[in-house]
Amino acid sequence: MSRYGAERLFDLAVPVLGTDEADGVEVVLTRDRTALTRFADSRIHQNTDRSDGQARVRVVRDAPGGVRVGVASTNRLTPDGLREAARQATAIAAATRPAPHFGGLAAGGLAYPKAGRDDHGTADCPPQRRADIVGDLLRGLSVGVAGAGVVETTGSEMAVMNSHGVRAYHVGTRAMINILATGADSAGYAEGVASALDDLNPVVLARRADDKVRLGARPREVPPGDYPVVLESGATVVLLHRLAQAFAGRAVRDGSSPLAGRAGQQVCAPSVTLVDDPLSPLLPGSPFDAEGVPRRRTTLIERGVAGELTYDAATARAVGAKPTGHALLPPNPLSGQPTHLLMDGGDADLAELVGGVDRGLYVTRFHYTNLVHPVRSTVTGTTRDGTFLIEDGRIVGGVRNLRFTESVLAALTAVEAVGRDGEVVYERFFGDAYAPPLRLSSFQFTSTSTH
Amino acid sequence: MDRTELAELALTEVTALGPAFADVRAVAEDSESIDVRDDRVERATRTASRGVGVRVLVDGAWGFAATADEDGAAVRRTARLAVEIARASGRVSGAPVRLDDTPPACGTYTTPHVVDPLTVPVAEKAEYLLRATEAARTVAGVSFVEGTTDAWRRHTVYRSTEGAAVAQTVLQVGGGLAAFAVGGGEVQRRSYPTSFRGQFVTGGWEEILALDLPGHAASTAREAVALLAAPDLPVGAATTVVLDSSQLAMQIHESIGHPLELDRILGMERAYAGGSFVRPDDRGRLRYAAPLVSVTADATTRNGLGTFGYDDEGVPAGSAPIIADGLLVGFLTNRETAALLGGISNGTARADSWGSIPLIRMNNVSLHPGPDEDVDRADIVADTRAGFLLSTNRSWSIDDQRTNFQFGCEAAYEISHGQLGRLYRNPTYAGRTIDFWRSCDALGGARDWRIWSVPICGKGQPSQVARVAHGASTGRFRATVGVR
Repeated sequence: MSRYGAERLFDLAVPVLGTDEADGVEVVLTRDRTALTRFADSRIHQNTDRSDGQARVRVVRDAPGGVRVGVASTNRLTPDGLREAARQATAIAAATRPAPHFGGLAAGGLAYPKAGRDDHGTADCPPQRRADIVGDLLRGLSVGVAGAGVVETTGSEMAVMNSHGVRAYHVGTRAMINILATGADSAGYAEGVASALDDLNPVVLARRADDKVRLGARPREVPPGDYPVVLESGATVVLLHRLAQAFAGRAVRDGSSPLAGRAGQQVCAPSVTLVDDPLSPLLPGSPFDAEGVPRRRTTLIERGVAGELTYDAATARAVGAKPTGHALLPPNPLSGQPTHLLMDGGDADLAELVGGVDRGLYVTRFHYTNLVHPVRSTVTGTTRDGTFLIEDGRIVGGVRNLRFTESVLAALTAVEAVGRDGEVVYERFFGDAYAPPLRLSSFQFTSTSTH
Repeated sequence: MDRTELAELALTEVTALGPAFADVRAVAEDSESIDVRDDRVERATRTASRGVGVRVLVDGAWGFAATADEDGAAVRRTARLAVEIARASGRVSGAPVRLDDTPPACGTYTTPHVVDPLTVPVAEKAEYLLRATEAARTVAGVSFVEGTTDAWRRHTVYRSTEGAAVAQTVLQVGGGLAAFAVGGGEVQRRSYPTSFRGQFVTGGWEEILALDLPGHAASTAREAVALLAAPDLPVGAATTVVLDSSQLAMQIHESIGHPLELDRILGMERAYAGGSFVRPDDRGRLRYAAPLVSVTADATTRNGLGTFGYDDEGVPAGSAPIIADGLLVGFLTNRETAALLGGISNGTARADSWGSIPLIRMNNVSLHPGPDEDVDRADIVADTRAGFLLSTNRSWSIDDQRTNFQFGCEAAYEISHGQLGRLYRNPTYAGRTIDFWRSCDALGGARDWRIWSVPICGKGQPSQVARVAHGASTGRFRATVGVR
């Protein structure tokens, strides 16, 4: 995808920013190209490349009792496409009731920090290179072990402009490699996410996945119950994502956050520090949100104490707070909540985490987690792709997968030790996050699976 | 250029490169989404998305490229890129992909409807929702109320090198209401007619008016308030559960629909969405459910959210038995996977946009009604000595082989000696797929049967979201309740 660049995107938007029928206009322009090579049963079975874009036009009209707001989007990034979107947004604004909680358009003249990285080798990665990486991954597996997974490269641009003078532009890249290795009765998984494809090592990932296949062969069944656990980064990330909505001003407003009214209180173990940081070099991120508000590091939990909450403009307005740069393009239901989570690492290596468990479980990854009770932060899901029994401080073999049903805050309260070497892991719907492996003194498993 | 010209331009370009097979979808989709909360419109959005996707098979390997740029040069470039990608796939290929012998279809289809939902003014829709939220807010104890409506109109022109030529326009529309009661560390939600933005169908705006959201608002709100005062469903052992038809639809989705997608069974989704405990040779052998249970995948069901004229490989919509009298008899297939088993596709290849490849997706995967047409939920409750009636989905989870599941519902009522008793909040139930379906011993009849929607079914990489449906009536099973 050839880049448009800031000036071309700004030039597209300017004609619709000033119309007589609007008291304020905001335009968000995005362009992205995602190429994904997918393999299963040790062959490439799907291989796709998609170039798309979006122009989202938000029109604001003053009205007694508030303002009227209309929004329309198109992927026709042409002057005609934007004019039509603006016309539709204006018509919607004229037809709707005043919105008392409209958060307002961001003010111009804002300074934006640096975020993410723009790697041309990732943005323009040819399909031949992705296929060769798949070959490297598969060659890293043992005989009799099958591989499945993806090699994905993305390049994206985003510009936010409004009639108050906001002019924000960002270009960035992202790459992801993952591999599931499958043997006769066991599996292993490894994943890497970075801003540049060159920063990922397929050979290392394949070896990690392959090692787990051998380690987990002939899995035994253990009964459900409370176990000490060691969670790999991928499992930790899933729990953190499921807690993320608790930090959203919207959840506090609606009464569904377990952290409502608990700012400054100890809510989990002192070893837990969790931030939202779109500016971290560890994560692919952008320096502003979908409303043109600058992003920044937000401390959500510091040494176990509940900290800041996060807002888009509308939820900030509703509770009398200031936007924190957490607006996403609607209809994304995650708008207003943190989506660039990082948990601070500790000083234990993985062997030390395992070494501290007399009898417990080691979890590579969770599957299909869902919130059961938001206010209690209770989540259910199952383990997958590498679950092991720990006895006397060492992994002694694989176990069949189990279902857990547990409060995330309770789990974070049970943190005994935090690993040194964290990883960036992707979770569907939530995006990328960085977390270390953890050792918990107790984690509740409620049933077993058949595999 | 219109959709037909774009599709034919792309097909001409790609055909010149000599692939064994190619198909093209030129798609224009318009959509609208409105959210109201209490007395205000929170969001009203129109969206337009247009583009062309080109899929090719070269030397037995797939390539796909898609662009939103409808300039002729960009479309031709995209066609050539698809071939380049397919050649790259050939660097790590297995057995060559073969397609089934589905004859190329030619035809047109438009969703039957009275009023195209995208022609109804935003203000009219918003006022309809606001009448509902305002009616719900008259109930004491309600904290806030949300109303939503969504609509899509997708026009697709399909062409293939085999000669298929299809044009179809599918209209989908949804609407719903949710009342919330908050207090004492609890948030209780009651939804009408079902959760997660309500009920979705193929059809016109008249289908949403027929839901009569304002007329059901107060009773929905009263149930939310009652739930806030109710106790938690106690932690229990295996017991009898009666599932209302909307929750049973979700159960069908997770523990019948997904595990019987043949791409999952063959391992194509294993690394991401997961696999299936079912094996290809289970067909005709596996006693999946009790004899009372039969399931069909039917893309022609009236108003079903998964109803269409042709799938995204140009296969005409049809009806395929999946479970017959408890026996597994079929899978959901596309042209590639059907050929591997020596059959032909049952037309379930669907893409969520012009920019996505078609994957095996559910259409309307529906449970047949029970044998007695007049049996309904009240009859099944009256026939139950002890257990719980669970209503309306709140959460869902199932393992990566689709065996171990756990669902949460909005409300549960105790059943004692055929009578509904105490109301409980935060109910959950759990079990294993085969044990659960084999335990089915009562199903509501045709009058109790209804087609329900699941509008947010995730699968594939890049992730796709499909809109599917499941017909179900009230059902009775054994499961473990109160897991937490």
